[in-house]
Amino acid sequence: MPKIKLQSSDGETFDVDVEIAKCSVTIKTMLEDLGMDDEEEEVVPLPNVNSAILRKVLQWATFHKDDPPPPEDDENKEKRTDDISSWDADFLKVDQGTLFELILAANYLDIKGLLDVTCKTVANMIKGKAPEEIRKTFNIKNDFTASEEDQVRKENEWCEEK
Amino acid sequence: MASDSARFQAFRDDEASINKKLPKELLLRIFSFLDVVSLCRCAQVSKAWNVLALDGSNWQRIDLFAFQKDVEGPVIENISRRCGGFLRKLSLRGCQSVGDGSMKTLALLCQNIEDLNVNDCKKISDTICTALSRHCHKLQRLNLDGCPLITDKSLKALSDGCVNLTTINISWCSNITENGVEALARGCPKLTCFIAKGCEQITSRGVICLARYCSNLEVMNLMGCGTIRDEAVQALAERCPKLHYLCLSSCSALTDASLLALAQYSTMLSTLEVAGCAQFTDAGFLALARSCRYLEKMDLDGCVLITDATLIHLAMGCPRIEYLTLSHCELITDEGIRHLSMSPCAAENLTILELDNCPLVTDASLEYLTSCHNLQRIELYDCQLITRAGIKRLRNYLPMIKVHAYFAPVTPPPMGSTARSRYCRCCAIL
Repeated sequence: MPKIKLQSSDGETFDVDVEIAKCSVTIKTMLEDLGMDDEEEEVVPLPNVNSAILRKVLQWATFHKDDPPPPEDDENKEKRTDDISSWDADFLKVDQGTLFELILAANYLDIKGLLDVTCKTVANMIKGKAPEEIRKTFNIKNDFTASEEDQVRKENEWCEEK
Repeated sequence: MASDSARFQAFRDDEASINKKLPKELLLRIFSFLDVVSLCRCAQVSKAWNVLALDGSNWQRIDLFAFQKDVEGPVIENISRRCGGFLRKLSLRGCQSVGDGSMKTLALLCQNIEDLNVNDCKKISDTICTALSRHCHKLQRLNLDGCPLITDKSLKALSDGCVNLTTINISWCSNITENGVEALARGCPKLTCFIAKGCEQITSRGVICLARYCSNLEVMNLMGCGTIRDEAVQALAERCPKLHYLCLSSCSALTDASLLALAQYSTMLSTLEVAGCAQFTDAGFLALARSCRYLEKMDLDGCVLITDATLIHLAMGCPRIEYLTLSHCELITDEGIRHLSMSPCAAENLTILELDNCPLVTDASLEYLTSCHNLQRIELYDCQLITRAGIKRLRNYLPMIKVHAYFAPVTPPPMGSTARSRYCRCCAIL
């Protein structure tokens, strides 16, 4: 199987099957635009992804290489977050910093499946929590004044169980 | 939540790395996976999250059915403000406290709305449709089911300003008459779906207007529009060739002339519901079965004149039938079921068969039906000649089938002369 080299921001190069690299729409387009398709020894620089994250991304892409292409976003469909596979859930047991880096990398490399599953994971960290618990989870400072906080609570309490 | 606290621990010193690392569009992408409750809680976390959570892009499609008891005017007004032009789809089904004032605000602020459901918002009146007509020209789907204050004035307003309407439901808006429907038909030629259950004042003329001006109609539900006559169905059949769903249940004035017209023109029909059309006979269904080959669902509940001949023709002509209701068709016998069970639809498609209150059907029918491999449910209430043993035999062949039957508990021997037949014919639950 033909291979290409991907170079991370910190200079590490990774030998990767072209087919696996192409699950990134960004890399796929780059290869097609530059006509780099079958040539050996080409190095694709990825200045926005460091080696630790690129290693994770490639691990994900290798596991999912035979997946069918992800469905287009259907605006009319309720978005689910309870459909994360157990492999993905295990794979994403990482610290928050790594999780956010993976989101950034998936977005930059345009890998929809990885972007969806990482965003869902963060959404699941929010769901079911009270505002104060959300602040704790993400270390967010409450910058409302007491009266502002009162106001936003009133505006948003209609959906709470009474 | 051990993993969550681990994540928190690792980033204790780094304040809100989620906000620092992720740009707005990615935070919004995360928020796009949140439900209404979570978004409202995120709005209370911090000023930056308030802006993000209330960003209109999160509020394009809202279903408030789960909060129907708590949704009052101010909530609608708040939502209208936060959604603005983003709002495309809103369901207020069952939100009975919602009134005209807040709905006017909604129409004014959310002018791009395409789909509005106010099913059972009993307080709203024609004012809402006037406001929609003035501001919301992109409206395509409107559900006014069970809003009793709505009158012809609403339909006239919609026909002026909402010419893109494709789907409207005015069921149980019993003040609506043929005049409102005529205006709607003239103004909204893109209508494909018209649902008007229980609108008794929609006469044949109303339906004829729809047929004349809205030739794209595909779905039509006139259940309980009891004044409709054959001429209305004839016009529909002739003018609306795409019609595939038609419900005429409880339109008891209709005769075989309606079925003959459908047979002649409406060859795309896949669903036909004619429960309680007691004047239909075998002759009408014979014609229908010969030309409507795509029929999948038929409700013939209470078509009391039909006999086995109807089943024989459906068996021959309609290979796609999945769902067949023959409740209260009292003349049906085992012979009809035998033909049905030998037909292509029985072998391939038939999944639901309702035979309740067919008093002539016996265990022999169940014997025949063992060949219907896809049969999932059979209704046998009040089929007095069906026995437990017969059902047990059917289950041997079709172990997954759901059988709905009722056997009176064994009664003590009759006491003297007061004994009377337990035979009950009063159960006409439609």
